[in-house]
Amino acid sequence: MKAIIPLAFLLAILPMFVPSAYLYLIGLALLFAVLVASWDLMVGYTGQVNLGHTTFVGLGAYTAAILQLPARIGAAFDVHPIVAVILAGVLSAFFGLAIGLLTLRLKGYYFSLVTAILPLVFMQKVFVWRGVFGGEEGFSIPSEKILVATTLEKYYVAAIFAIISLGVIYAILRSKIGLRFKAVRDSEELAEALGIDTTKYKILAFVLSSFFAGVAGAIFVNYRMTVAPDLYDVPLMLLIILSAVIGGLGTLWGPFLMGIIVYLAKNWWLTAFRFGIVNEEIILYAILIAVAILMPRGVYNEVKEKLRRFAKS
Amino acid sequence: MIELLEIFVFGTAMGGIFALLASGFSLIFGVSRILNFAHGVCFSISAYLVIYFIKEFSVDIFSASILGIFFAVLVGFFVYALTKYIRHNVVMVIIVTLAFALLVEQFLLLSFGNRGLTMPPFVEGIQVIYENLRIAKVRLLAIAIAIATLLALEFFISRTIIGKRINAVSQDIEAAKLLGINVEKVLIATFLISSALAGIAGILYAQIFNIYPAMILRVLIYAFAVVILGGLGSFRGSVVASFIIGYIFVATMKTLGAQWSEFVMLITIVAILAVRPTGLFGVKE
Repeated sequence: MKAIIPLAFLLAILPMFVPSAYLYLIGLALLFAVLVASWDLMVGYTGQVNLGHTTFVGLGAYTAAILQLPARIGAAFDVHPIVAVILAGVLSAFFGLAIGLLTLRLKGYYFSLVTAILPLVFMQKVFVWRGVFGGEEGFSIPSEKILVATTLEKYYVAAIFAIISLGVIYAILRSKIGLRFKAVRDSEELAEALGIDTTKYKILAFVLSSFFAGVAGAIFVNYRMTVAPDLYDVPLMLLIILSAVIGGLGTLWGPFLMGIIVYLAKNWWLTAFRFGIVNEEIILYAILIAVAILMPRGVYNEVKEKLRRFAKS
Repeated sequence: MIELLEIFVFGTAMGGIFALLASGFSLIFGVSRILNFAHGVCFSISAYLVIYFIKEFSVDIFSASILGIFFAVLVGFFVYALTKYIRHNVVMVIIVTLAFALLVEQFLLLSFGNRGLTMPPFVEGIQVIYENLRIAKVRLLAIAIAIATLLALEFFISRTIIGKRINAVSQDIEAAKLLGINVEKVLIATFLISSALAGIAGILYAQIFNIYPAMILRVLIYAFAVVILGGLGSFRGSVVASFIIGYIFVATMKTLGAQWSEFVMLITIVAILAVRPTGLFGVKE
């Protein structure tokens, strides 16, 4: 918890040193880091492999976009952007609850199988109702309907959201609820024997993680001023997985910081590697496969272990 | 009536293709508890390579198909090698196979583009069965190939030694080890056979529909629907479920349009999980 305060301080003074074009990217990276941290809340702490996190990102994004621009569905009402963002999170959470109730009561692989196909199916709605959702191009939201207008303000919205989310997730994980999540992950039988309703806690973690994903998706829309199906897509999902795995599942800080690094790497540093049949995505996927095979416990954990051994000797 | 018959024939063809795809997925899961998200790679790579060999080297379609299936088997072996040391770690297996699938998808996207590609058919023309009932010969051939392959697979699993070993390992891996079965060899055999099946399925699919890079993951929707309906790890269950899914798929396509098929699959899966989570033939774990 202590580390959040210096991080908040650093993010607050960052605009003094960084030009606004990079600030824009850093803000996006912070939003992405929240996605990674909230995915880690479900996967790293309860051990249930959720492959459909982007479903809730996209759901939140499109919900907020439609609420802020009701003309798309032919309705005329005015929703304040903040209300739209929160409603987007609530809808994502409800949807998570429905999926969780259906799949998390079953033991085994059903949860992963169902969540894996959710983003593919939900992306399809964009193409079925092209008039409303705008097809593969998506649609943009005029600046007067947006939460905040300037890059600096957007950056601060993203930074505040990231700090609050990190703090809330951290507080949840430190509480008794967080201990029960870990008990479910480490030994489901033992947790059940101790009287923990494992299904209830799995669903709770899933709903919480979907809520953060939905809000983050809605803020993404307000940040980029457009909504497009890439927020649903599997490459974003794999980028989340990649960051969390390299950062170390179940460490919260690892995935959060690695989320920032991976996002900046993909959209900034690695874009130079585009030649022939190689692009930055191929490089990232190759890195992911290598890390998963060589360091299955995550870079964070393996490096910590190495350092500890080094300190002992 | 004609409509219904058309749906029946087309659905049987699709069911056969789904059965080839899903039974391999199910076999791998049964033997090793690996959820192979890279199964669609074998499916797509064989179809793409057949098109590539025909276009670039003007190979005839039959030799091209054999080459395509051969490369699908190679990919299967590669996936086996990738997952060899992390097999016990469910999360890592999913991540590695998914990353591999997306890597190949990017590769196909960069080298073949995002357009759908068509494959020249094995046989041209339309078979007139009865007055207005005309069916493309390719679809009848797809049914024949799929059913012949499935029968051969059934024979292989229930009659040959390797098949019996595959069966034994998927029933109880510890007991199989105690009987002196080399589990590693059985696993390799399973991967090779499953990849070949997926390769055949990919070629048959490309005979009927366009094929595009995103198929690598999209096709898994149907495979998952099949294994959930048939029960995870049950071979016969998958085959029966495949034909049901095939009829649902074609009926959706004819009535609502192709873009609805994914939605209908999701609703089907959700309905099965709500009513009978173990599937038609699944066993309780």
